[in-house]
Amino acid sequence: MNDVLREARLFLRLRAALAAVLGLFLLAAAGTAAGLVEVARQNDAIRRIAPQQAADVQAISDWVSRDKDAGNAAYYTFHATWDPPSDLAFAALGLRDVAPYLLRVRALGLEAQLYEGDIGNPEASLPGRFDYAFVLVYLTPLFAILLFHDLLSGEREAGRLQSLEAAAGDARRLWAARVGVRVTALLLALALPFLAGAIIAGTAGWKAAAVLLLILGYIGFWTALCLVVARMTRSSVANAMTLAATWLVLTVIAPAVGHVAINTAVPLRQGMELSLHQRTAVHKAWDIPKAETMQAFFATHPEWAATAPVIQPFHWKWYFAFHQVGDQSVAGMSRDYRAGILKRAAWSERLGYGLPGVAVQLALHRLADTDPAAQIAYQDRIRAFHADLRRFYYPYLFNETPFGAADFDKAPAFRAKGDGGTLPAALFAGLLIVTLGTAVIGMQRSRRPRR
Amino acid sequence: MSGVLTIARNELRHLARSRVALTGILLVALLSLTAALTSSAYQAEQAGLRERLQHTANEEFESQPDRHPHRVVHAGHFAVRPASGLAAMDPGVEAFTGNMIFLEGHRQNSANFGDARQSSLLVRFGQLAPALVLQVVAPLLLVFIGAGVIAGERERGTLRQALLAGASGPRLLVGKAMALGGAALIIAAPAAALLLWLSLSGPARGSAVLLSAGGYAVYLAFWVVLIVAVSALAGRSRSALIALVAIWSFGVLLVPRMAPEAAIAIDPLPTRVETDIAIQRDLRGLGDSHNPDDPYFAAFKRKTLAKYGVTKVEDLPLNYRGLLGMEGEKLTSSLFDRYADSAFGAMARQSTTMDALSALSPTIAIRRLSMTAAETDLAGYRRFMEQAEAYRYDLIQRLNLLQATAVTAADDAAKSSDAAAEARSRISAENWRKMPEFRPSRPTESAVLARAAPSFVVLATWLAAAALLAGFAAHRISRSAT
Repeated sequence: MNDVLREARLFLRLRAALAAVLGLFLLAAAGTAAGLVEVARQNDAIRRIAPQQAADVQAISDWVSRDKDAGNAAYYTFHATWDPPSDLAFAALGLRDVAPYLLRVRALGLEAQLYEGDIGNPEASLPGRFDYAFVLVYLTPLFAILLFHDLLSGEREAGRLQSLEAAAGDARRLWAARVGVRVTALLLALALPFLAGAIIAGTAGWKAAAVLLLILGYIGFWTALCLVVARMTRSSVANAMTLAATWLVLTVIAPAVGHVAINTAVPLRQGMELSLHQRTAVHKAWDIPKAETMQAFFATHPEWAATAPVIQPFHWKWYFAFHQVGDQSVAGMSRDYRAGILKRAAWSERLGYGLPGVAVQLALHRLADTDPAAQIAYQDRIRAFHADLRRFYYPYLFNETPFGAADFDKAPAFRAKGDGGTLPAALFAGLLIVTLGTAVIGMQRSRRPRR
Repeated sequence: MSGVLTIARNELRHLARSRVALTGILLVALLSLTAALTSSAYQAEQAGLRERLQHTANEEFESQPDRHPHRVVHAGHFAVRPASGLAAMDPGVEAFTGNMIFLEGHRQNSANFGDARQSSLLVRFGQLAPALVLQVVAPLLLVFIGAGVIAGERERGTLRQALLAGASGPRLLVGKAMALGGAALIIAAPAAALLLWLSLSGPARGSAVLLSAGGYAVYLAFWVVLIVAVSALAGRSRSALIALVAIWSFGVLLVPRMAPEAAIAIDPLPTRVETDIAIQRDLRGLGDSHNPDDPYFAAFKRKTLAKYGVTKVEDLPLNYRGLLGMEGEKLTSSLFDRYADSAFGAMARQSTTMDALSALSPTIAIRRLSMTAAETDLAGYRRFMEQAEAYRYDLIQRLNLLQATAVTAADDAAKSSDAAAEARSRISAENWRKMPEFRPSRPTESAVLARAAPSFVVLATWLAAAALLAGFAAHRISRSAT
């Protein structure tokens, strides 16, 4: 305990080290604040929609309820869906700037509506957002390197190493205390701003705990790596260079190479191709016998098979049936597209088992529910809601029930899900194994430190 | 001069002999080569895919059977964003924009299927292209091998020897910078070769290639001069290294990331849902086509009847529904244009804010210059979106005109209830083949150069500032010798 107190006092006298820790604290606080501001902006946008949407539906209801044609109601009414940021989204904004969190759909073909994007400045998305995840994944290792690269070599270069170890008696305890104080300083600089953010955002306790574990694990990895390097090489300069080069490989080069490799191995043409197919499939209904379309529709909706056949050139039930059939005709491509996105994500996770930076990035975004899986989950909820819409409108269309002003209120309302986010246990395990492995190497070297 | 060359030659020999430095240079050169190869392969594949898709879309449009023109308005068309010729050098915002847009009547859709949305989170670590290597990796490598060029000599005591032997501070710094510049050239060679190949093989303009190469040369020269200056000013290699890594982290990592936050806070963008709702609201304000007594459309009817000197729409020589369609499309399109202009205007202001931060980070300046030369910047995307919208409007109006001229008013009115009228309301498939194809044009050479010029000036200013610092450092070294 005395060792630790002494080391803590020594550390507090090192102006450069203190400045570094304070700098990291400020960056983490800025990242947290930027994330909270963005989440508030998104929540605000979602809140703004409800009254505007109500006014829009009212305006449609005003003229539709004159002749009460359900087809007009189903055709013209858009229904809002939204994907509120989770209680941890502030820490890792993820894909929420390139994938929409607000989307309106109507009962027409869903596949032509599901992939719509939001208005966004691609030049603002390009460098990535400044959020807590960025500070943790990218910047923290550089600060760890700053604090640890001269742990041994600095003392050696100052000619103090032998006397220091001799004075301490137990050299291992000395270094353990010194490393412990620095790790604690880094941990505090990162954890305090995060916890403040978590309290403001009302983050679930288990998620906050999981993030703290990630922070600890990531600092642990970089500390262990710094110790490995500290024991391996000679000068502080060489240590810093080796460590920064490792940082460059682990957090810039390897993920970029992995990204190219994954996107090449899992090509995703289905999205654009399914758009073309769906459009053609939907509109060809105008050129083929209506019975053909209706047969394909009844195959999946037998409950309407007994309704009157469509003999006139136009009937709304046929119109909506061919939109449904259009969706059905690209169901396979749509599944492939969805699976492809998840497959790319799965491969990136495999990369994360070996690369701690990637592991922390992916784990944080999974916990925050801002990763591709979260986007897919939102799309799945839109699909389910769209199916509800169809189920709501079809009886009016097929039974030719008049659709009055009161019926607009009966339409199903989208229910956003609560805070998502799951614990990516495999990534945690990967980070732990890599960190422990590195630490073991560091320990082994440290038994016979080179002088 | 010969003294400078000797210093440079000695430093290069020193770098070549230091295994760490040599390995670093060769590895980054290899990375640069890998980036050039994979990036050009990926972009070539993307370009091919998009060309095929546009071709398929054109074929499908033209092979539509006899149809009522308004069915074709709804069946719509697709515009695919052609890949930029220089995207292999710098993919810029390519991954963050949609690549395919569905064009139909009455609606303006978004461009969809951008790479970022369908990729894993790894896309956020940066895309492997020569631009990433030159903007981010190369400066850090130069910092590693260069932090000690003068500080190291000072530590070893060889600096004093050199100065006593007659080398002056300026000569020393120039010589060291030349050696470091040589290392930068080796790293950049694969990217330069790619640029050359892109211009020889066709897609890239000579001016863009020169601009891009010149920009990177100034950017890397800035780092070289800065590194030599800091190394000369620092007492020890370690403090030079730490200072330079801190400058690198700040300029390359931190400022470019903080820039969007500032830009978004100053000029927030509307959401698409709000925009859609607002357009519908404005449209109802202008004229409600669902309201038979709407004053706007009543006035349009009066005007049309007066123009043809008739009293009833049935007496018009044209199908009034087609004319109404044209008027409606004109209204909606004017709103689409207004809202799109406003959104793109806000984005352009955001980008201006981000560019202003190039006063803190030369990386922002080189990124702007490189993206602009590669036509993979916001302006390139906006250009595509505006050309797609112009094409959409023209296509829809041609189809509406066909409805007005080639479909009789009587058949049009009866088509939903009378099968024979419905059959007559279909016009020949020949008409679809006569429609123009979507052929977006590239920005002019002068427009690209004009947009890139300010960033070139910023980069040159950074280089000049580094040179001033180096001059000061050189002066101090000369003085220390006497």
